[in-house]
Amino acid sequence: MNNVIEARGLTKRYRSTVAVDNIDLQIPAGRIVGLIGPNGAGKTSALKAILGLATYEGELTVLGKSPSRDRASLMEDVCFIADVAVLPRWIKVWQLIDLTEDIHPKFSREKCMKYLSTTKVTLDHKVKQLSKGMVAQLHLAIVMAIDVKLLVLDEPTLGLDILYRKQFYTNLLNDYFDEERTIVITTHQVEEVEHILSDLIFIKDGRIALDCSMEDVQESYAELMVAPDKAAAARQLKPLYERELFGRHIFLYENADREQLKTLGELHTPNVADLFVATMNGGAS
Amino acid sequence: MNRLLALVKREFWENKGAFRTTPLVIGGIFLAAMVMFLITFNHFDNEFQSLKELTRFIAQTDVALRDKVLYEINLSMSVIFSMVLAFVVFFYLLGSLYDDRKDRSILFWKSLPASDTLTIGSKLLSAMVVAPLIFWVVYVLTHIVIMLLFSVVIMTLGENPWTLMLSLGSPFKAWSLVLASYFAQAIWALPLYGWLILVSAFAPRIPLLFAILPPVVLGVLELWVDFLKTFTLNDNLFGLFGKWFANSPLIMSADSHGDEFGVALGAPITSDFDHQVTVANMLDRLFSSDMLINLAIAAVFLGAALWLRRRATES
Repeated sequence: MNNVIEARGLTKRYRSTVAVDNIDLQIPAGRIVGLIGPNGAGKTSALKAILGLATYEGELTVLGKSPSRDRASLMEDVCFIADVAVLPRWIKVWQLIDLTEDIHPKFSREKCMKYLSTTKVTLDHKVKQLSKGMVAQLHLAIVMAIDVKLLVLDEPTLGLDILYRKQFYTNLLNDYFDEERTIVITTHQVEEVEHILSDLIFIKDGRIALDCSMEDVQESYAELMVAPDKAAAARQLKPLYERELFGRHIFLYENADREQLKTLGELHTPNVADLFVATMNGGAS
Repeated sequence: MNRLLALVKREFWENKGAFRTTPLVIGGIFLAAMVMFLITFNHFDNEFQSLKELTRFIAQTDVALRDKVLYEINLSMSVIFSMVLAFVVFFYLLGSLYDDRKDRSILFWKSLPASDTLTIGSKLLSAMVVAPLIFWVVYVLTHIVIMLLFSVVIMTLGENPWTLMLSLGSPFKAWSLVLASYFAQAIWALPLYGWLILVSAFAPRIPLLFAILPPVVLGVLELWVDFLKTFTLNDNLFGLFGKWFANSPLIMSADSHGDEFGVALGAPITSDFDHQVTVANMLDRLFSSDMLINLAIAAVFLGAALWLRRRATES
């Protein structure tokens, strides 16, 4: 069992709409996967199925277990932050830590206190007294103190200011991630996570539009910047997507001949945001 | 087991105000009322000129009668605690699976390795055991403090508190009966508890409305059907719910038993059970066919609540 998440024909229907449409998915251990898609593309529906928070059709195993049947025991090895600020507002920080320690066999109080010591959160604070950023720090401190195999983050930094967002991902990468662990992240702020991701999955209309590693992205995709006079030639090489910036034309290619492209203009590795826009607007498979 | 205890602890923390502060406030009000009574007694225009006279008069009454009256007072002191406890438990259960859906903290609770069955179990346990136990402890403590207070006053007035009241009224028996009635009532009320948990699991908003409306509609329908059948309103006003309520094994009214008058279990308007306050009468209710139906209804409600809780994060 190498794959942490394995889905075959995963489908999620709400009355009339299909949120997740027959998805096949394999996520191996030791990866940081970015699950990226526009609003309503089915990211959250897919994650909810993976976390046992919603029913689904098709085959799905997470760490060898069925999320819909074994949610409680699965949660011993899976942790998630679904959205910022879902911690109960009435609870005090020490109570939250006490409870997590009692309920979660893999929670380490020392680790949690270590992470908390770098923040302004104190044990006597009530969650409702904390700012949104501090709540996110607290939640992250708790989650990072739990020794699980899979961590799922669904928009964990939405609405936080940039300082908190940067620090959030820095902590995650430096203090938490290792080869045994897998992290799945969904976010709108693609630029902030792209340097920590090892794999990319784009979702569009409930289907997977792209599923590859970051190395593949560098190998397969190329961005070409050309002057207007060469645009027609560049267009003939079947770009996935074209845009204009400061009078220059920028083309995105998949598996194109790099030598040939070089003769037309400047070659770059596309960033994830551009690749995302191209995939969503164009028809990349 | 540890997890269940942790979840119960969580319920206590979240509802500290209702579970702990409320009975303490009632106890405080009781004590304050007693102190006010002692201070102002002399100012009343009554047949006794002073507290001293009153105490002497009481000391001269028949011991058996005094014993009986004190016992009834001991039991009836629990009524105010029981009524408030009923309200507390009602609103606690009504919010039990609703509040965390509303503020979305359900997403945090669901990220912990505790099953939905365990979660619902912890809520039921809090309503059936934790809250009644705390209310009972405060009731007993209030009683003890009041007895101490009166003892001191009686002593300063030159009478012996032990022969006057402390040795009478079987306080331990009264306390035990009250505790037994709390647990008996917790079991008797299971269909209501199940219904409240179910409502809290499905109500999209205003759970109180969803909790009250269906029973009211059902009650009115029952009344109407009975009326159509018999064309009288003779004792049909007293429907299914009324019967269930009147048969409660909780001390909440008074009645005459033979030639004696005293507190009673439930409301003494039905003849299904004996309403005298004894453990046997409580058990009688718990081992009745009515109880069997109650349990079946409760099981259906709780099963439905569990089903809904599993799907609470669906959209």
